Amino acid sequence: MALHDVVLQQIINGLSLGAMYSLLALGFTMVYGIIELINFAHFNIFMVGSFIAMFALQSLGLHGQSRLLTGWPLVGALSFGFASTMLASGGIGVVIERVALRPMRNVKGTAAMITTIGVSYILFNIILLTTGAGAQNYPNPMPQISWHIGGAVLRLREVLLWSVSLVLMAVLHVFVQRTKMGKAMRATAQDQEAARMMGVEVDQIVMLTFFIGSALAGAAGLIFGLYYNNTSFLIGYTAGLRAFTAAVLGGIGNIVGAMMGGLIIGLIEALGGQFLQVRWTDVIIFSILIVVLALRPTGLLGLSTPKKS
Amino acid sequence: MADVSPAPASDLEAAPPPRRATLTAALLAPVRWMPEATRKRAGLALLIAGVLLFPFIVRNAGDIDAAANALAFAMLALGLNIVVGFAGLLDLGYAAFFAIGAYIYGMVGSTQITPPWTDVWQPLQWLGLVSRAHVEGGPDLVHIHVSFWLMLPGAALVAACFGLLFGAPTLRLRGDYLAIVTLGFGEIVPIVVRNTPDWTNGPMGLNGVISPQMFGFRFGVTSTPYYYLAAFLVALLIFVSYRLKESRIGRAWMAIREDEIAAGAMGVNRVRLKLMAFAMGAAFAGATGTFYVAKLGTATPDMFQFPVSVMVLVMIVLGGMGSVPGVVLGALLLQLLQSWFLQDLTQWVHALGRLVGSEGLQQVELVQTIELIFGIILVLMMLYRREGLIPASRTTAPLSLTEQAAMPSRGGIGASLSGIRDVRLPAGTPMLEVRGLTKRFGGITAVKDLGLTILPRTVVGLIGPNGSGKTTFFNLVTGLDTPDAGRVFLMGEDVTGLPSHAIVERGIARTFQSLRLFANMTVLENVLVGMHARTRANAVGAVLRPPSVRAEEKDTREWAMEVLAIFGNRLLPRVNHLAGSLSYANRRRLEIARAVTSRPRLLLLDEPTAGMNPAETMELAEQIRSLNTMGLTVLLIEHKLNVVNTISDKVAVLDYGEKIAEGRAEEVQRNEDVIRAYLGRTAAARI
Repeated sequence: MALHDVVLQQIINGLSLGAMYSLLALGFTMVYGIIELINFAHFNIFMVGSFIAMFALQSLGLHGQSRLLTGWPLVGALSFGFASTMLASGGIGVVIERVALRPMRNVKGTAAMITTIGVSYILFNIILLTTGAGAQNYPNPMPQISWHIGGAVLRLREVLLWSVSLVLMAVLHVFVQRTKMGKAMRATAQDQEAARMMGVEVDQIVMLTFFIGSALAGAAGLIFGLYYNNTSFLIGYTAGLRAFTAAVLGGIGNIVGAMMGGLIIGLIEALGGQFLQVRWTDVIIFSILIVVLALRPTGLLGLSTPKKS
Repeated sequence: MADVSPAPASDLEAAPPPRRATLTAALLAPVRWMPEATRKRAGLALLIAGVLLFPFIVRNAGDIDAAANALAFAMLALGLNIVVGFAGLLDLGYAAFFAIGAYIYGMVGSTQITPPWTDVWQPLQWLGLVSRAHVEGGPDLVHIHVSFWLMLPGAALVAACFGLLFGAPTLRLRGDYLAIVTLGFGEIVPIVVRNTPDWTNGPMGLNGVISPQMFGFRFGVTSTPYYYLAAFLVALLIFVSYRLKESRIGRAWMAIREDEIAAGAMGVNRVRLKLMAFAMGAAFAGATGTFYVAKLGTATPDMFQFPVSVMVLVMIVLGGMGSVPGVVLGALLLQLLQSWFLQDLTQWVHALGRLVGSEGLQQVELVQTIELIFGIILVLMMLYRREGLIPASRTTAPLSLTEQAAMPSRGGIGASLSGIRDVRLPAGTPMLEVRGLTKRFGGITAVKDLGLTILPRTVVGLIGPNGSGKTTFFNLVTGLDTPDAGRVFLMGEDVTGLPSHAIVERGIARTFQSLRLFANMTVLENVLVGMHARTRANAVGAVLRPPSVRAEEKDTREWAMEVLAIFGNRLLPRVNHLAGSLSYANRRRLEIARAVTSRPRLLLLDEPTAGMNPAETMELAEQIRSLNTMGLTVLLIEHKLNVVNTISDKVAVLDYGEKIAEGRAEEVQRNEDVIRAYLGRTAAARI
């Protein structure tokens, strides 16, 4: 493979990873935008989502990569997978918000964040104890269709994953920018108290934010499984930290920024893994996180600045 | 009753009514008769005896080993408690410092690193730190074997340096960002360890780490010496924690935890104190790492992952953040749960399974659920008992009626304050001089080309409609905001752009319009923080308490009580109450007391009488006047014009960030611009 083919191939891979990180980063950034909380539970909602999706696909009789689908059955199976995963993950997010985080909303300091660490730990260990420590072979019904662009290979699954992510992000964007609920959400992010006085049901908006964020995390979990053909209880931690880096990179609280940040982190991971060494990838990504936070805490886009003192 | 009960007859409630309790009462009677100090000392002696005798009582090597591990985690919890509990910095990568300490000793206490022998090593050989090893058919190698006892403080020092290194870029961040950055560092350290096999043997881990040796006795793999060493180290760290907590340093940490901006405005150098907390916590972890790796004889990168950081966090949350006995208890309880209780419970469940013939029950392994239990403990504690099992802040006795009763008094402050002295400035030098001060926020100019001169020993009132830039002006003078243009001179010295703690040192103290007290510290502690800039004790002094530090602390406390006495029995009976429990008016008084404690030359008061009734207002106004008479220069923002009129020598009026009038109160009130600013154009025309 010539160098430019290698680069192209890694860009293709990076965009796929990036799509996943973007979806995951959206959940961080939306929750932070609304209630200024770093939600550590998000890491493992993503992981749980990937397991829910696995069970959903298995319930259709799909196990491993043995059975491939094409045409409408494929569309149907994937739609079912995404829909059920997003609903269930969103539900988990709502329950977490309602049970563990709402009582913390007015508590000063780091209490709420510590609670999310506890919740995350609970999710992590429930999956570990119920499914075991080994990696799970992921159902993947997508046919092995691919195209050659020069020396690089573009597979059908990548095209599908990009499309799904694009659709989800476009829907989210339209929802936040064009609908009444979206407007209420933006108002709450600006000033919760003022929004409440204007008749916005803040509790509902917070719940909705958790639902959407967690649903997107679930979708990212399914994408993870389809991309790597396996999943395990461990995936939430690394992917979550990378996605959080993406959210910070794009300016936390900034929805478009999270999408961009996700793509950048995906590309860094793929290209960095190719040209440096895979084992240093995380050090590179966390160094970016630390440098960005230390030098430019508002992120690269830096549109919205968190205002809590 | 009195003849059967050994309790004092007057102590009616304590006398046990039923006869059969008499024996217990008789046994406990000496305890009740003891003065409290003796009782505490006796309890401590019992505790120490219990800890010392423990290995002789249990005799089981496994249990002693588990106890030694539990004590090691208590050391970690004490260290993290300094960072999270005292200073309020959520560190999620604490295990990184544990790893650093472990690997530092692991590398110099094993044969991992064996450079070829050169004469450069000769001096170290004389010191007994290395030896020359002969290798068949090759050049001689260096074997490093630095003593454990040297490395215990050595690793603490190295870890502290890493604490400074990791802390430095993160300290300007807000609390939650700090958490995520420390999490990143916590990830990076094991990765670096794994990826540098030449130094650390990579994922395989270090092996053959030599165990400590004392008076020719090598600890080896028996648990008992490690148990005693750990118990000693825990005792040492408890001592250090207590000494720090009850010192100038500990109070500054807690002030930062409670309200960072107010801490800065009271003279606390936030960057330095935060770094100190980070380094101190890291040092505890580094020493623990050395102990742990010496005990285990091996270290792998997997021993220092995120779950370790979470476990230590759970320990301090369970025990009570900021509470020294609490975090030790939390650590011991969790280790007890892990190494004894869950194993026993598993055995019982298996036995039950055999009894009822259930295959499932016999295969249950509860020990694996420990992390799930950690998560549940964390969430439940946060939801239902945030202060932990042994809360850090004490409850206080209720006040008697006479202590509660406080009538507004008139006539200002009776006694004069020893700490406030008259300033002698060269003739013509103003106390404060501000020239061309400008501050813009986006498109709004909050303060515009403002000039103001305040002469020594005067009271100047600063008035103006809401949003006219008064508080911004205070923030610019006290270093909370930096001006876009203009200069601020204090007693002739340019103080523009200095950080807020440096401005306190030079002699300006302030209060805040929206009260910024340290809510979870006592009234006395709040005031003591005010003395931060005037005292010198460092961390070492705080721990060792040499006579100079003792004297300083005593003077500080006396001065603090003297200042609190300004407000009669409003604050004095409540010195040990939490500031958050005070009434609104008393909180205002406490803010003033805290500012006065810093021995300022110039006192800036931002709406000091807000929320007070007319009688309280006039009482306070006269007290402010008294402070002025003693030598303080006062600049106050006030909306109540009767206060301004009564005590101000001069009044300055701001509107839209500009000074529109200045002069004696009566003059200013007749000024048309002022009337227009306050009441509007039409009202001005009518008058």
